[in-house]
Amino acid sequence: MSDLRKEKLQKKDKRIVKLAVEGSHGARGKDTTFRTKDSISTVSCIDELHHDDNARIGVAIENTYQMGPDKRFSVAALTDILQDVLTSYLQEERYEVEWSQKMTKTICEVIRARVKDLLIPRYKIIILVHIGQLNGQSMQMDSRCLWDTSNDTSVSYSFKNRYLYGVATVYAIYVE
Amino acid sequence: MTGMEEFHNGSEGAFNSEEADNIVKECIESVVGGDDYSQSQVNKWTASIVERCLTQLVKSWKPYKYIVTCAVMQKTGAGLHTANSCYWDTAMDGSCTVRWENRTMNCVVSVFAVAIA
Repeated sequence: MSDLRKEKLQKKDKRIVKLAVEGSHGARGKDTTFRTKDSISTVSCIDELHHDDNARIGVAIENTYQMGPDKRFSVAALTDILQDVLTSYLQEERYEVEWSQKMTKTICEVIRARVKDLLIPRYKIIILVHIGQLNGQSMQMDSRCLWDTSNDTSVSYSFKNRYLYGVATVYAIYVE
Repeated sequence: MTGMEEFHNGSEGAFNSEEADNIVKECIESVVGGDDYSQSQVNKWTASIVERCLTQLVKSWKPYKYIVTCAVMQKTGAGLHTANSCYWDTAMDGSCTVRWENRTMNCVVSVFAVAIA
């Protein structure tokens, strides 16, 4: 369970949201469901990586008068990271429920750590990872963003083997 | 929704995930509510869902950049796991993920809101 958060000064890398969708079963973990005819809507819960027990007071950050980013993300470098991580973790693996749960979280963390290692300042990072079983089903993923197209970017990479598929996406948002 | 409590910290600047949640559910219902999975239409559906969600979110005129993702999957008993990890300012930014299903398909929509300045 997470505590109520106070305002924070520094950026923290702590959120991981995990969902499991297995066949026609209901949601795992805590969530709220209500039925509308034959459809169900659920909202997932959030797992916290770290707990911050000290209350932090929000402080206004001083204006840097910077008009744009000094360094931007290279799409090629991000694609390399995603390709590297997905292939190394998923090559020749079979889809298993418990293993996939852990693996999505692990891959998320690994990708985030490697993107942060690029040391590009003033960027917020969002990583999305999907791992699914290949069962002859059809699937469509779509994404739309309202952002500053000159500074913000996103990169996606998908991996497939005989038993499963993995899709990883990175969104990098510039902080003005 | 106890898991979402941390976003309701009372601060004006924080992202209201409950509001986003309702917006998203409404958009999904209006686009695919009552339909069965169709390979020819799914492309149109995902595009409609993300577009509608985005336009509705923008109507609140809050100083946020939004990222909306939608995944629609046919129900065949296959498993799917999704995770996300974010490096941002936890006081101001937030996310909301909604999972919706009917008899023939599953739909997962995630909204990420990143504060400007």
